[in-house]
Amino acid sequence: MSPPAISVDRLAKAFGGLRAVDDVSLSVQAGERRVLIGPNGAGKTTLFHCIAGTLEATNGRVSLFGADITRLPEHRRAGLGMARTFQISNVCTDLTVMENVLLAMLGPDGRKWTMYRPASAFSDLRDRGTIVLSRVGLDGRADETVKFLSYGERRQLELALALASDPKVVLLDEPCAGLSPSERQRFSGLIRELPRDITLVMIEHDIDIALALADRVTVLHRGNIILDGTPDEVKRNDQVREVYFGRV
Amino acid sequence: MRIALAILFAALGFCVPLFASEFWVTLLTQIMIFGLLALSTDLLLGHTGLFSLCHAAFFAVSAYTVAILQVRYGFATASAAPLGILAGTALSLLFASAVRTRGVYFILITLAFGYIVWGVAYRWASFTGGDNGVTGVPFPALGPLRVTSATGYYFVVLGVVLIIAAAYRVLVTSPFGLTLRGIKSSESRMRSMGYNVTQHLYVAFVLSGLIASIAGVLYVYFNRFVNPTAGSFPVSVEAVLMAIVGGTGTIFGPFLGSGIILVLRNWVSGYFHYYTAVLGIVFIVTVLWAPQGIMGLIARWRSGTRGEGA
Repeated sequence: MSPPAISVDRLAKAFGGLRAVDDVSLSVQAGERRVLIGPNGAGKTTLFHCIAGTLEATNGRVSLFGADITRLPEHRRAGLGMARTFQISNVCTDLTVMENVLLAMLGPDGRKWTMYRPASAFSDLRDRGTIVLSRVGLDGRADETVKFLSYGERRQLELALALASDPKVVLLDEPCAGLSPSERQRFSGLIRELPRDITLVMIEHDIDIALALADRVTVLHRGNIILDGTPDEVKRNDQVREVYFGRV
Repeated sequence: MRIALAILFAALGFCVPLFASEFWVTLLTQIMIFGLLALSTDLLLGHTGLFSLCHAAFFAVSAYTVAILQVRYGFATASAAPLGILAGTALSLLFASAVRTRGVYFILITLAFGYIVWGVAYRWASFTGGDNGVTGVPFPALGPLRVTSATGYYFVVLGVVLIIAAAYRVLVTSPFGLTLRGIKSSESRMRSMGYNVTQHLYVAFVLSGLIASIAGVLYVYFNRFVNPTAGSFPVSVEAVLMAIVGGTGTIFGPFLGSGIILVLRNWVSGYFHYYTAVLGIVFIVTVLWAPQGIMGLIARWRSGTRGEGA
């Protein structure tokens, strides 16, 4: 069997005395849709940061397709095919939409060091960028400066940046956060239609979206996993109900 | 439109000596040289978001190198000028280590770097000539081609500045230039997209040091001598302020800022003893009411009139 896309082994991350992630092991198969849920402060985003390399784990191991990446800096992990979105939109607001996407595509591309030719002259990149933008529903917005984009459009751009580099693994940190219910529907549909050669790990607070998208769900609570199972198992589990939905 | 404007300016530049007095030709030469230095700092400030206070160091090291090689060792311009650029750029390879820090720490480290060079130029009198510096630098000559007047040198500077400005334009629109603007906008986003941010900043710093070194070579042949003032803190600060007053992130802005500041200095100081106070007021007004500089005001005014027309 091929190695899992992401494997986290006894991972811990402490901030001083606070163990935001205490002891987490999980393994996500290639092509899987994994959703992380859990109440605020459960350690979901911290775990994400450790997988993406934004934060260095205090203990434990992270591997990507069997290769140990625990000590690899963030940019190298991106070079290995890992992409992410941020919980709070993190895009280059002074640049245009297309410039953002160009940068996303150039990240793992050696041509990012080219100094003698305008970036707009790379027609293959521009074509690919146009496709990515239409995929997330930003057609016709390519030359708009990001700071003039609406909140929802920035969320779409977040996703475009994650997809533009043809990643193998995409980490989505609450992609639907702050969107209106109808936008959420559209957005989760968009995520559902992503091809299966991309492995998705996603944090989602909206339990309906989470359960509809996920192959498997991992429930975190106070830095530990309390359940790892199918959406049905999660729905039926009493402990999850108690922790996540509150005592009924 | 923009290119047409640039060509018009260039053509106008070549015609200036036809109608302007030697005073203005000399002043314009000086404006272009310091404009180039301002442009070098703006590669970091306007495009990358780093506020450097040590660019006088590269400027001075290349100027001193040329002066010492030509005056003391009899080098020709053809070898002294490239070696000057090389020396300044080599120093920037070292000082570029400052990009490991950000914000106020970056400013303080570059400030300290700048003072080291100034201190050496000032104190190592046996080599640098101390306070007096190195005098008697000849006009530049390339084989039989010899500059013999301020007007002749004006053309040399204009030519070099136009070439650098054109190259700079290509650089900032290239993928590498785009990367720098991306880093300025969001470093964490760039890292997550696979950019080794420090590496890009390092290269940007060295390129900016290279441009400052070219300005230093132009300066030493203009001034015909060099002393520690060239590497002093005020030169570093003024270079950045020129870029801010003119408009950061543009090519013409730093030259415009250089023009404003040097004309003020040359003109106001004739009537008014406290011209540095006037400069101070200009900076305060800029920061408060036109943080994007004159070029920013022009852009705002243009988009404003266009908006009304639509």
